[in-house]
Amino acid sequence: MARQPDHSLAHRRHTNPVLVFGILTIATILEVVVTLFHLPKNILVPILMAIAFVKAGLVAAYYMHLRYEHWIYTAIFITPALFAVFLIFILVA
Amino acid sequence: MTAKPAGAEVAHANLNRKFGMWLFLSSELLIFAGLIGAFVLTRRNIFQNGLEWWEPNTFSLALVSVNTFILLASSLMVVLGIEAIRADQQQKLQRYLTLTAILGVMFLSGQAVEYSLLIFEEGHSFADPFGSAFFTLTGIHGLHVFVGVIWCLMTLLVARRGTFSSRNYTTVEIFGLYWHFVDLIWVIIFTVVYLTN
Repeated sequence: MARQPDHSLAHRRHTNPVLVFGILTIATILEVVVTLFHLPKNILVPILMAIAFVKAGLVAAYYMHLRYEHWIYTAIFITPALFAVFLIFILVA
Repeated sequence: MTAKPAGAEVAHANLNRKFGMWLFLSSELLIFAGLIGAFVLTRRNIFQNGLEWWEPNTFSLALVSVNTFILLASSLMVVLGIEAIRADQQQKLQRYLTLTAILGVMFLSGQAVEYSLLIFEEGHSFADPFGSAFFTLTGIHGLHVFVGVIWCLMTLLVARRGTFSSRNYTTVEIFGLYWHFVDLIWVIIFTVVYLTN
């Protein structure tokens, strides 16, 4: 039987959204603080991009519920996201 | 041909709506990848030619950090609103949607302050290389926030009629996907535009 991606998973216990918001806020503060150390650009940029991608991943996984949804939604979103990340890295590198 | 029960048809239609929304968001992702790429390339060319590039001062960095916090908080409101309607708490959903719209307007107001400072105090315009890259990228994102606020208010109007329940909230979920996407894109813009200068 095909897996129902919608409301069959709706009542599964989700991670506390306030906790996710707390992590996102702390990560944002951390990003701003890291820029105050005037690190060399080749160290600073990868650190900042890593934090940004972790934040974006948290939003997609927990706020957009990709972690609890059918894998097809993740595939639809991740495929262009990989192209996007590849494009940005090529341009930044 | 055997007719499907009405509930199954509605569930199928809801799946299609969500699927369509994810396809739309994936195409939006590529649009923003292009815009962010164009911004990064413009900045690189300016640096390579030894020309002057904008650097955010303490005030503008503080302003945009607060704006980032506002957008993250608005996303939290949407999540809490969806959780509320899953528990059949209609009043709570309306409250969270109202807060989302207010936070969206606050974000746009912050962006308006930032634009006015850049244009009237620092003298930037769409004509200079920084202005064209910056205003295009952040402006199109701002347009998405504006559309999100309108969409939020329309969802709120429907919610006030008591349409949504724990068995019928896909419309709220689809709005939530859009709003979180706008938040997700801002997370990347904040880092690329303001912090990696």
